[in-house]
Amino acid sequence: MDRILFNIALAGYFVSTTGYLCSLLFKRIFPAKISTWLLTFAFSVHGTALFTQYFLTGQSPVNSCYGSVSFFAWVIAGAYLVFQLRTKTRILGAIVSPVTFLMVFAASTQMPGRGLLPENLQGPLVSVHVILSVAGEALFALVALAGMLYLLQDRQIKKRRLHAMSRLLPPLKDLDRINHYGLLFGFPVLTFGLLAGSVWAGSAWGSHWPWDPKLIWALLVWICYAFVLHQRLAIGWSGRKAALLSAFFFLVLLVSLAVISFNFPTIHTFR
Amino acid sequence: MKIILLGLNHKTAPLEIREKLSCAAPEGTSPLREIMRIDGIREAFYLSTCNRTEVFFRVDDAPEEALDRLKTLIRKRGNFRPEEMDRHFYLYFDEQAIRHLFRVASSLDSMVMGEPQILGQVKESYREAVDNDATGILLNKILHHTFRVAKRVRTETGIASHAVSVSYTAVELAKKIFGNLAGKTVLLVGAGEMSELAARHLMQNGAGRILVANRTFERSLQLADLFKGEAIRFDDVEQRLREADIVISSTGAPGYIISKDRVAAALHRRKNRLLFLIDIAVPRDIDPEAARLDNVYLYNVDDLQDIVDENRNIRRKEAEKAEAIVEEEVGRYREWYNTLEVVPTIVSLKEKTAGIIRGELERSSSWLQDLREDERNHVEILLSSVVNKILHDPIVGLKEKTIDRNAKPYIAAVKHLFNLEDEPSKKRSE
Repeated sequence: MDRILFNIALAGYFVSTTGYLCSLLFKRIFPAKISTWLLTFAFSVHGTALFTQYFLTGQSPVNSCYGSVSFFAWVIAGAYLVFQLRTKTRILGAIVSPVTFLMVFAASTQMPGRGLLPENLQGPLVSVHVILSVAGEALFALVALAGMLYLLQDRQIKKRRLHAMSRLLPPLKDLDRINHYGLLFGFPVLTFGLLAGSVWAGSAWGSHWPWDPKLIWALLVWICYAFVLHQRLAIGWSGRKAALLSAFFFLVLLVSLAVISFNFPTIHTFR
Repeated sequence: MKIILLGLNHKTAPLEIREKLSCAAPEGTSPLREIMRIDGIREAFYLSTCNRTEVFFRVDDAPEEALDRLKTLIRKRGNFRPEEMDRHFYLYFDEQAIRHLFRVASSLDSMVMGEPQILGQVKESYREAVDNDATGILLNKILHHTFRVAKRVRTETGIASHAVSVSYTAVELAKKIFGNLAGKTVLLVGAGEMSELAARHLMQNGAGRILVANRTFERSLQLADLFKGEAIRFDDVEQRLREADIVISSTGAPGYIISKDRVAAALHRRKNRLLFLIDIAVPRDIDPEAARLDNVYLYNVDDLQDIVDENRNIRRKEAEKAEAIVEEEVGRYREWYNTLEVVPTIVSLKEKTAGIIRGELERSSSWLQDLREDERNHVEILLSSVVNKILHDPIVGLKEKTIDRNAKPYIAAVKHLFNLEDEPSKKRSE
């Protein structure tokens, strides 16, 4: 049942992506508008699939690596759709939609079984930890994406050239709003995710904070975003600086995660 | 049947000529009604704006005479000399007339290409024509087609989507920065046509509040009254800078009146919220160094003019696409028009054969009476099916020729061979 729903959602993401590409290719807004609805549809079906999976199997949808990837994609799509309601950032959909599609596609090829968490690592608290952390990171990913678009658009306007690219990109203010709300919601969500993980580690591993490479990375993420949010709210670093910092941190953290995962032994792994 | 367009526009006639026509109609008379009174004009559409006057009409026979009568009317109304008529008016027939109308409504023939008003004016004129019963089947069809063409051009090309005036470019930029202008505050420093126009456009596009500063406070008050804004003293400009999201400056001051430091200070006090500075003054009012600050976007009059020039180029390129659309639609019109010619021929062909069958049945009514009723019916069916079978191929052939767009000689041949001329000419030949 949930497999069928996943496949419907996957098809939805695919058609939506195609629509966005057509919109860009033929320079018409209409296919993109349809695509936004398709994305909404796929997002709803995907969400239903996640719930169905939980109710049918009693297993958390995020207890495997691929489940988490699929959940990550679901949050990005949802967060984008919420922003689309209030801002003129349709072009972001043209990036979010294919990203979502590729992630769900990658997840679907390996859906059953593989990458499952070991028995002793499963439990409600782990699920809460994964859901909140992944949701927070997904929001930060969207913030980083908006930040990159912001930097592009800022450059265009600063250089006093309104080329086709500038017309395609959303207004600065709307991208800045994504930065603001993305950080504002993403940071507490991530914080609670880390806390849940820590509480659980205390009972399972005997230590709330074992000094493990991946956990150091997590702490780094938390500090970086705490810094951005602080600068933004207290010092008033809106606009270009906030965009630059959010995009920069995200890329650095992404690269360092890759480096850590492949080069260092860590207890925090799905393998 | 002929479709004719007689008109003049800003390219063919100077203002003195154009204005003669736009104020030519005396009180209480409508040019359209006068045109409709001309002998031979069956349907007409009259468009008059400050840049053009066009008469688009249909005549069924003797087009030259009707055209002469129309020219006489226009010459009298506008007090033109005959050579002025020849020099400034253009004349198009049939497809060319349709093409011209399509181009006009799509704003391809406008002074500012892509301007949006002309379509509204065409629609308004059409409404007037409909109210006066001046249009019939053909012109209704053509005008509706015209509206569709204009809509296609508008949505499928970027001809209308690039600002080609400095003030609109400022609005476009403001929207690129702020997205929505609602709740934004505009600070207008100094006065001048361009800056006031920019301020007005910004307000029309949703900007919430306007502060006005001028060398003389009196003038500030006047302008504030005009824009329903708040007048501030010139010395307070730097102080109030932090309230503004968009600053338009155009004073006659010899040096910079807004320094980089002042902008930085204002920016700091407004927590780095985006700031759009428009410096229309020559010499400049705002220190160009201010552009280096984060979240500050400074444009001077040359920057804006560059964008305008570039947008003009873009519009010209888009116009090529628009011309292609117009050409395609003229082709569609041609197809439709050809079917229009074929249909009456087919109808009269069928009418003629039906008449022959009726006549022959009547002539044979004496012996037909001897037959039973069902036998009589059989004979009638037999006759009409033979005739229909014979006519089938020529009719299909005519319709195919229509699609090939060369139906005319065939229509003429069918009319000639089957002697399908209209009643009056028949009588004359007898």
